[in-house]
Amino acid sequence: MTAARLKELLAAAVKLELATIPPYLCALYSIRPGSNQQATLVLRSVVVEEMLHMVLAANVLNAIGGRPQVAGREHAPHYPHELPDGVILDLLPFSPAAIESFLQVENPQYLPTLTAPDSAALQVRRPELHTSHAVAVSERPTTIGAFYQEITETLKAVAADIGEPALFCGDPARQIGAEFYYAGGGSPTRVTDLESACRALDEVVDQGEGDILSPYDADGDLAHYFRFQQLKYNRSYLAADEIGTPTGPAMGVDFKTVYPMLANPRTAEYDDPDLKAASVRANHSWSQLLQQLDAAFDGRPDALLPAVHTMFRLRDAMLVLLANPLPDHHGRHAGPTFEWQPFTTAKAGTNHDLSP
Amino acid sequence: MSEHRSDERANGIDDAQHDVVVVGAGIAGSLVAKRLTQAGFSVLVLEAGPATAAAFDDYSNHVQAFYAATSKGPESAWPPAAGVPQPDTADIRTGDGYFVQAGPLPYGSTYTRLQGGSTLHWLGVSLRMLPEDFQLQSSYGVGRDWPLDYWALEPFYGEAEHEIGVAADVVDQTHLGLEFAPGYDYPMHRIPPSYSDRLLAAAVDGMTVNLGEDQLALKVRNYPAARNSMPRGDYRPVGAVDQRRAGQGDGHGLARDLGQRCAGNTACTPICPIQAKYNAGKTLAQADGRTLQVVAQAVASKIQLDPVTGEVRGIEYQRYDDPASARHTVHVARGRVYVLAAHAIENAKLMLASGLGSASGMLGRNLMDHPSIYGWGLASHPVGPYRGPLSTSGIDDLRGGPFRARHAALRVDVGNDGWRAPTGAPDSTVTDAVANRGLFGTALREHLRSTLSRHVRFSLNVEQLPSRSNRVSIDPRYVDLLGNPRPVINYDIDEYTLAGMAAAKRVYQEVFRRAGIKDCTDPEQGVWFPSVAYQGDTLHYHGMGHFAGTHVMGNDPAQSVVDTDQRCWEHRNLFLVGSGSFPTMGTSNPTLTLAALALRTARHLAKELST
Repeated sequence: MTAARLKELLAAAVKLELATIPPYLCALYSIRPGSNQQATLVLRSVVVEEMLHMVLAANVLNAIGGRPQVAGREHAPHYPHELPDGVILDLLPFSPAAIESFLQVENPQYLPTLTAPDSAALQVRRPELHTSHAVAVSERPTTIGAFYQEITETLKAVAADIGEPALFCGDPARQIGAEFYYAGGGSPTRVTDLESACRALDEVVDQGEGDILSPYDADGDLAHYFRFQQLKYNRSYLAADEIGTPTGPAMGVDFKTVYPMLANPRTAEYDDPDLKAASVRANHSWSQLLQQLDAAFDGRPDALLPAVHTMFRLRDAMLVLLANPLPDHHGRHAGPTFEWQPFTTAKAGTNHDLSP
Repeated sequence: MSEHRSDERANGIDDAQHDVVVVGAGIAGSLVAKRLTQAGFSVLVLEAGPATAAAFDDYSNHVQAFYAATSKGPESAWPPAAGVPQPDTADIRTGDGYFVQAGPLPYGSTYTRLQGGSTLHWLGVSLRMLPEDFQLQSSYGVGRDWPLDYWALEPFYGEAEHEIGVAADVVDQTHLGLEFAPGYDYPMHRIPPSYSDRLLAAAVDGMTVNLGEDQLALKVRNYPAARNSMPRGDYRPVGAVDQRRAGQGDGHGLARDLGQRCAGNTACTPICPIQAKYNAGKTLAQADGRTLQVVAQAVASKIQLDPVTGEVRGIEYQRYDDPASARHTVHVARGRVYVLAAHAIENAKLMLASGLGSASGMLGRNLMDHPSIYGWGLASHPVGPYRGPLSTSGIDDLRGGPFRARHAALRVDVGNDGWRAPTGAPDSTVTDAVANRGLFGTALREHLRSTLSRHVRFSLNVEQLPSRSNRVSIDPRYVDLLGNPRPVINYDIDEYTLAGMAAAKRVYQEVFRRAGIKDCTDPEQGVWFPSVAYQGDTLHYHGMGHFAGTHVMGNDPAQSVVDTDQRCWEHRNLFLVGSGSFPTMGTSNPTLTLAALALRTARHLAKELST
């Protein structure tokens, strides 16, 4: 139970939250414009809350004098990506398989029903599995819930051991506040002591996994798991509904009005020069975004301002890829590959370009 | 808010007695409803138009309507109901619309009759009026003085800026005598100036122009905008309205995260797709739902008086279920006090149709606007137009000064939207290149790249003084499908304003020259706008949607329709709120000032209703 162990766990937590984002983005942007309106809102609401969770974990780590890192080949997520629960994050279009995967991510107790039509086909598109840092730093098999529980318990133990002022020795200027983080699932908590650290981590666990016995969180919003259940069953929850059996109006889910993106694609698989260039462009934007996030977590919160432009560029590049079928892939479309590929490879990780 | 459209809600209300009946769910009515429900009073809001902008999914449909529209005018996203017609920019040329244009000149402005009102498609400019604007007569011998001075309204300006959510820095705004309460700043930091703003400022700041004997130095300034930016302190920007609650069966308020910052969609007018720009639905959503009742598709048609006391005892309204039909039922809404917040034109129209408020002879008169002229040109280098909010900066130095004794003041709005408004670019640029210049392929692309990137647009908004003969009236020959009168508009532009418009034209030409911008202004080739002859020149003008003056405020019942609380002199439980109360308008967009006045009236009403 040391501060060093705590930093190791929190550094892995930041990467864990980051790793959940690209799969949600693939599902979100693979939806054809104008269709699946409710599903779009659900996916968007979840992905922005994952962004908040990443910022909250980074705030806790910075509060104890740590250094969150997300840029660089060793820190950026790679797909397919294995989480502590054994859950595998794939880059998939909006599909029953994607929904099943999201249900697993959002509830560690969930047992996947392996009936989704493209589950079997997906296995062959998992050429190599990348293990989450959260798995690597865990001393025994764990779950996301247990992983966060260990962080909270260690925080309390170390605070009791060395005292709060000694533990929370980070520079408050490194905290990300509401002026730079917005429109993403709520306002980030500035972490300065044990109470605010626990509040920040509670929010991550509460929004992310929620209480499996209560579909609604403290704000009266449906927890992620149940939002995805609504998509799985194409039925919205009414207030009186039993858990697992929503009976409200249909959610308008239509898996056919989706760009059928190739699962876990690689830029190297794109033979068409235009598509390859588009994929490189997307990866440049993704890598630049990670560099800007890395700078924001390293005492430059204002790096989040140009990061907004980068996110728009990344979205535009993703949409170009998704709208285009791939030759020789049976009608499958291209998609974002989320590979670490910074624009200036010579100085990877140091290119903190803040200009829009 | 969709439940407010149900019949059950509309039917049980005839017997109900509310504390306050508000007519109109635009910004003024919504602010009054929010304040008074939060003070514990029961408020009924009657909204003539449909509530289709109130629910998130419905709002999204308006966005889709805008995307699908071939003409992207201010009304393109906001079609009215059949029985609740509204003025439309396209009707100004034909003279055949909701307004009966009785001349001599066409009145160039429009507004929206939907829940949310014209804030649904306003630009969001939120300038305070200048202290000298309140004393135009005593300072410069023209117009009228307000019965209030700037400092009487100053605290309410601050309140309004926080209710609306205005982004600006006080340090940019303290000039021309404008002062702020000590320690005050806007709730959000200013929207960053655009690239073209910065280029223009570098070229123009410090240059002087002469207006009469006054020599005035110009500076490009950021203007206060009702669009979300980086918050100050504990302020939290209010994003999209999404009141769906968990278990309601159609989603769960998931859209509230949208619009917490302006994302530069360049569609402020006619519709901000993410609601980063303020609309009155945000305020109404913050009212206390326990004592608020909103009935949309309910057209106030007649104010009923108690013949003995002269007080209002009810407002008749026509409720329709089908926005495409004129079929309706008639109901009466009753309260202790009544607040007309239906728009400068609609307030006056309802009073006239009810035979009220005629004692001073001022009702419906003093109709004002900001007749404005466009100047457009080509910069020498790319300036990056067609992106960001439609505008982020202006030149304010000509809004005040001794020259106002001789001609109208003016404000320069600097566009980020290229030649869109005056010429229909970029579409018209493509048409011109293909049809007139015969370009195609690489040459076409090169032409578009080199011209569109250099488009610059100014809009020069000119002050107009109150005049008895500029007025809205009614005529039994002109009615709408529900039998309600259509506004008959008499409008002219006097010498004082024409001289200001001529000066405005001179100013933009001088600024263009200074900045190396080639003047390409050619109203004959651009979008059609009405014109007026002045000293051998033809001035083409467009309206700014800035209606004011139709129920003027004053200290003397013989010279005004309402008092400083916006209470009708003749009917003491009746209030007329909005820009209709303005004695003069200066060069400010009226929304912020009318919001401040509405908040002042709401505070007065909360006190009065408690006793």
